[in-house]
Amino acid sequence: MQNIGSGALPLFSFVLRRILQMIPTVVFILVVTFVLVRLLPGDPASAMLGDRAIDADVKRINASLGLDKPIPVQFLYFVKNVFTGDLGTSIALKLPVTTIIMQRLPVTLMLTLMAALLALVLAVPLAFLAALRREQTADAVIRGTFQVGLSMPVFYVGILMLTVFGATLKWFPVGGYGDTFADRLYHLFLPALTLAFSFSAVLMRNLRSSIIGVINAEYVDFARAKGLRPRIIMTRHVLRNALISTVTLFGLQIGTLFGGAVITETVFAVPGAGRLMIDSIYGRDYPVLQGLTIALAVLVSLTFLATDIFQAWLDPRVAR
Amino acid sequence: MKKIAKAALAAVLLVGTSLSAVAVERGGVMTYGRYADSLFLDPVLNDANVDIWILSNLYDTLLLPTDDGKGVQAGLATEWKVSDDGMSVNLTLRDGIQFSDGSPITPADVAWSLKRAANKDNGIWNFLVSSIDDVTTDGDKTVVLKLKHPDPAILAALTVFNTAILPQKVFEAAAGATDADKAKVFAEHPVSSGPFVLQSWDRGSTMKLVRNEHYWGKGEDGKPLPYLDGVTFEVLPDDATRILKLNSGEIDGAEFIPYSRVEELKSAGNLNMELFPSTRVQYVTMNARPQIKGKDNPLSNPKVRQAMNYAVNKDAIIAIVTHGVGKPLTSYMSSATPMHTGDKPLYAYDIEKAKSLMKEAGFEKGFDTSILVLAGNQDEIGIATALQQMWAELGIKLELQQVDNATRTQQYRDGVFTMREAAWTDDIADPNEITSYFVYSPTIDALHTGWKNEEADKLFDASQKEIDATKRAAQYARIQEIYNAEGPIVPLYETPYPVALSKKVHGFLQIPLGNNFFGRAWLDK
Repeated sequence: MQNIGSGALPLFSFVLRRILQMIPTVVFILVVTFVLVRLLPGDPASAMLGDRAIDADVKRINASLGLDKPIPVQFLYFVKNVFTGDLGTSIALKLPVTTIIMQRLPVTLMLTLMAALLALVLAVPLAFLAALRREQTADAVIRGTFQVGLSMPVFYVGILMLTVFGATLKWFPVGGYGDTFADRLYHLFLPALTLAFSFSAVLMRNLRSSIIGVINAEYVDFARAKGLRPRIIMTRHVLRNALISTVTLFGLQIGTLFGGAVITETVFAVPGAGRLMIDSIYGRDYPVLQGLTIALAVLVSLTFLATDIFQAWLDPRVAR
Repeated sequence: MKKIAKAALAAVLLVGTSLSAVAVERGGVMTYGRYADSLFLDPVLNDANVDIWILSNLYDTLLLPTDDGKGVQAGLATEWKVSDDGMSVNLTLRDGIQFSDGSPITPADVAWSLKRAANKDNGIWNFLVSSIDDVTTDGDKTVVLKLKHPDPAILAALTVFNTAILPQKVFEAAAGATDADKAKVFAEHPVSSGPFVLQSWDRGSTMKLVRNEHYWGKGEDGKPLPYLDGVTFEVLPDDATRILKLNSGEIDGAEFIPYSRVEELKSAGNLNMELFPSTRVQYVTMNARPQIKGKDNPLSNPKVRQAMNYAVNKDAIIAIVTHGVGKPLTSYMSSATPMHTGDKPLYAYDIEKAKSLMKEAGFEKGFDTSILVLAGNQDEIGIATALQQMWAELGIKLELQQVDNATRTQQYRDGVFTMREAAWTDDIADPNEITSYFVYSPTIDALHTGWKNEEADKLFDASQKEIDATKRAAQYARIQEIYNAEGPIVPLYETPYPVALSKKVHGFLQIPLGNNFFGRAWLDK
């Protein structure tokens, strides 16, 4: 902890710098999304009305959505609205985009958070065990199991979990989302575990090799020579240093976890933002797509920021 | 002897009646697994089957479809009469009918609802009631529809979701400047006239309906319908999850069972695997324009289209894709559509005839062509792969272009596609809707194919005003004859609606138009 005192000021300016860097990133993503969704073939009215729509109806509905105006004009309206906190109204669901995002995004966040926690709970102790028992049976079993986790498609793991722990053993509900907070945690456990399965495999493999690298470092030998207790050596010297690269990986993988949530949410019938994103792409629901992209861009940027801060805390040289 | 027989018959009837009266059980909530959530619960402004197919549980119409989906029966109206000249319809409202808030359903509400449905600026379904010129009321029970021209389908139209009756005052009191704005607010908490009322809606997850205490319907036990206390829809997009949840008893029914699982679920002891007759037809659309994007199009030649039809082994496709659940089409419209004609499968597989037609058309060596396939849709990919092999026999090299639905719709609407797969379900118990899209060129250029037949167009125009049922049936017979012989499609198969229900569910019905009726459903305790 003694590192923090001397590093507090650089850390503060580092965080400020990173926050300022986030702004152009989010704006860039916003512009790209806005233009890209409009370059996709098809338009909201056609997607919404389907094959039966007649031309007059398609034109009338697109015009009522303001989509007959040039893209730069639409963009100006959009930016003006974003600054007043108005992300528009969903074309398909006829609800304000902010309302929809506030309903759906927390579900995905909770799922992702649970998956990340479960992944850590699985990966950290097992990585230690595998590293300390390197090339022994325990190591082989742990690595073998996680290899399976990495190579199995998420939807397949999901269906397996549902069949075994849901339909057969009846320990968990077969998909769906509950009514109360506790009920929702209960419903989200299996999908989170499904996501955590492959995520923890990535973390475990990385952490294991980091630990192996650190265990043999000179400063660890020095700590041992100083007569420090093994637990102190492990937590303060080995884990802290081994975690640096894993934290980076963890941050980067959070984005992937959102991607995995799309499939998991479908298999487990969880009404999250992943499914909403897919539906709005297929339905060319521009306002929802834009709103969700902004929200996700901000979230992923915040995750990266948190990762950077944590990393700077682990290794103060990062902040300098 | 006669007396004994009569007594026996009376006893049987009595026992039968009392059994059915006793058999019905009241109460309970039925949970039904849907593949997708609804989007917008306004009967006039909605666009999708996910709304249409459940709307009748919330909103009642003047007339109701019969269980076979072909006829009409009393709904909010108990009597109806079309005038001799076909220019007006008189309807008498049922006594004492009320909306779910307890307010009376008045002729004024009916007139307002029907005018809203017929307004050309409202939604995409107004064409179904485009013949309505005006709606007037007479006293506290009579509604008169004045028509622009005789409309043989007007009674069927009064059973369709978009003619549902809404409370004018409540709707107009909803916040918003325009009809569309008000509809958004109203549809979140609708005051309704059907057997159920919307209690809550957790988007993308669950929708809860509870019984409408003011519904007019009476059950077999003489008490008010519905039998159920409520219906809960759970959105379960993944087929396997929906079936698992049904098997584990967490839900009571599941829609859209994949064809590949139908046989398995038929043998499940705890389930009834229902195959409800439907108007769903599966086909391939062929662009019939002489040129597509500046290139000559062999599909514009009717002989080529016929050859390709004869080269498709529909039985094989039915076996591969629908696992035997489907049956070959005998017309472009389903056999459940009124005025359907035809008793033989269209274009029975005949490869020699196909080859000779190709030769006659000057394409003995075949040609290169393409088909748009919905990316990731296993049924469509299966069909296209089978077609690829079958048409290879004629030297036709078929390229599969997998795209998402919006992209496909765009190419389709622009008329620049070569071929595409498609399915159709009727929304009205009349052949006019499907014919207007498939055959009649002014609507959407006969499925955007550019195909046009003057005689068929004229027959359709005439049939829209023909109130002599026999003459109209003859017109439709001729339209089908023309289209089935040279139309721009490869008719593949028709399929029922596969719905799996727990054995404790009774009285649930999905009619051929797709509407799910929970009003008479009940559960074993």
